[in-house]
Amino acid sequence: MVPVDGDTIEQVLADYAALPRCDADPELEAVRAAILIEDVFGVTLSDAEINPALLAGASAVAALAARLQGAG
Amino acid sequence: MCGICGIVSDSGPPDLALLGRMMGRLGHRGPDGTGYYRDRRAALGHTRLAIIDASGGAQPLCNEDGTVWVTYNGEIFNYVELAEELRHLGHAFRTSSDTEVIVHAWEEWGEACFPRFNGQWAIALWDRRAQRLVLSRDRLGVRPLYFTRRPAGLIFASEVKSIFADPSVPRAFDPAGLDQTFTYWSAVAPRTVFQGIEQLEPGHYAVLDSSGFRKARYWSITFPERGREPVQDARENAAALRERIIEAARLRFLRSDVPVGAYLSGGLDSCVTAAVIARYTDAPLHTFSLRFSGSEFDEGLYQKKISAVLGTQHQDIVVSPPDIAEVFPEVVRHAETPILRAAPAPLFLLSKLVRENGYKVVVTGEGADEVLAGYDLFREARVRLFWSRDLGSAKRARAAELLYPWMARSPGRTPAFARSFFGRHLDPADPALSHRPRWDSTSVIKSMLTTQTQDRIGGGAEDVVATMPPGCEDWDPLSRGQWLEMVTLLPGYILASQGDRMLMANSVEGRFPFLDADVVDFACGLPARHKLFGLEEKYLLKRAFADLVPDDVRYRPKQPYRAPDAASFFAAGSPAWFGEVMSERAVHAAGIFEPSVVAGLLAKCRRTGGENMSNTDNMRVLAVVSTQLTHETFITGGGRGGTERALPDPAVAVDLVTADRSVP
Repeated sequence: MVPVDGDTIEQVLADYAALPRCDADPELEAVRAAILIEDVFGVTLSDAEINPALLAGASAVAALAARLQGAG
Repeated sequence: MCGICGIVSDSGPPDLALLGRMMGRLGHRGPDGTGYYRDRRAALGHTRLAIIDASGGAQPLCNEDGTVWVTYNGEIFNYVELAEELRHLGHAFRTSSDTEVIVHAWEEWGEACFPRFNGQWAIALWDRRAQRLVLSRDRLGVRPLYFTRRPAGLIFASEVKSIFADPSVPRAFDPAGLDQTFTYWSAVAPRTVFQGIEQLEPGHYAVLDSSGFRKARYWSITFPERGREPVQDARENAAALRERIIEAARLRFLRSDVPVGAYLSGGLDSCVTAAVIARYTDAPLHTFSLRFSGSEFDEGLYQKKISAVLGTQHQDIVVSPPDIAEVFPEVVRHAETPILRAAPAPLFLLSKLVRENGYKVVVTGEGADEVLAGYDLFREARVRLFWSRDLGSAKRARAAELLYPWMARSPGRTPAFARSFFGRHLDPADPALSHRPRWDSTSVIKSMLTTQTQDRIGGGAEDVVATMPPGCEDWDPLSRGQWLEMVTLLPGYILASQGDRMLMANSVEGRFPFLDADVVDFACGLPARHKLFGLEEKYLLKRAFADLVPDDVRYRPKQPYRAPDAASFFAAGSPAWFGEVMSERAVHAAGIFEPSVVAGLLAKCRRTGGENMSNTDNMRVLAVVSTQLTHETFITGGGRGGTERALPDPAVAVDLVTADRSVP
């Protein structure tokens, strides 16, 4: 896992929240968010975590990222 | 911007008549003036496009005592600062040109001068005292420089056609160069598609003297280890990137004694450069755009919108498929290589429009996609890497649907095909994971080659991957993809066949702020996520110029520049030249492609009018047409066009062999 400090995590999540959204297909948007999370934080999500309910919106992504970073 | 050529001969004085013919073939690169220098061992030629110091910058140009001579094509954008530094070191200048800076910089720093230059150049220096020829090319290969080594010397020029002015230079295809072209889209320096003709690698210089011929690298593309990038803060990096791009655009707009225009494609990159010029300079801005008669390729609405927002004087040209077919032989004559897309042809027509409007310099957005990660190929690689972590996951497989939203047959509309295409050779440990799909699909062209050509090629393309720098395994995967793109497609196709050659064909110089040395070095040091944020391409650029670029331009899906390919030659009937060049007799005579396979491909095109062809078939058609034209123009030598221009009388005519000397 790439070491990422708390400030960077906060900044990345804020930047993610500011991106324009295209929510036509929630599962596809969850995949899009998962690609970003895996790349930036160097983690691998399970299929269960690539889930619109877990990746819908910045706060959900933040919670997931925090959990994964903590687990790492 | 200019044309340069020269001869170094160990067997008597170089032939001045040959030098004249070589210059004649470079007239389009420099219609404003000519000049030459000759002594008993070397001759330098120059055709000039006068942009800086029109009265004093004639070439070849020498130092104070006439012992160092230079012929040079390009611009050193930091020449004002370098001249100041050299004056402090005691050098006396007699012109205000950037060319003279090169001479004094060489005297002062030797080969260490090249990393100090910020610009785009191909340089030949002749040091009479040391009897030494030095060739140098800019960092990323904006300007071309070819040479052929002879038993008794060397011949060099800006373009291959100039070298072929010497009838003793053999003319044949290099099978390995063709193989690279039909894999990577172009030959990779030092190779070309012509046997015995080399191109100096970008970021290198070469020396020929009594110790022989040798080359050395003065700059290389490099990236930091992932996670060890110097600045992790996106706000800070956005501000620093903005500062560098503004300075790069200002330098390229203001350091010219003739008016500078700008291209507007309708996309982000050219919008940024034009917006910076409009905001940070006082001069009126004239912009030029390329439009297409077919809506699939046209970006006219965005171009008009950007022009209106920036308040530019705007002109465009609308290109149709027959327009492309009509100029295609001339396009190949300038490109000097097979090309796998028709896209250079409209750019040839665009530079013609620029020149007809009295402009000879344009600033464009070229390079941003490579340096700041704009290409779909980088997004594609990230998707494939994501998928490779669990190939059995149906959710991960869906990621392919996020690619190529601009395509009529995008992966989102054909998910099964997309999964099969992007799933091939999916090895996360492959350093070229980003490029395998492109290289694989391009290599299909080789199935059309004759058995004889395939035998001459042998065991597969020379592997660019094997030349990747040590330590690149610690780079971010995006950085590895950028490296491959900046070593293959950027110098070999984007800056050459679509860049220098199509601009200089109409005597227009291109300037590229995104390829500024400071911009490139800074961009390479950025964290990958600041370039490709998730799947958001050129993230930092969009952020850095949020105030100058309209939101719908910033966030429109990336639309790559494309033109009608096979349709150009079939939709409205084929031009007369096409039948001759593509006849079974001509294909057989060239001996590269299997005539029966070509006949089958052409029959398919005629049935469809070249419309709705697959990407592979479009590439096949262009590969065959352009290879046939390259063969006709350069190998048999009887091709269309290729005439030598009448050149203006030389402004510099120094012949130490006959003791004639005329220097302004």
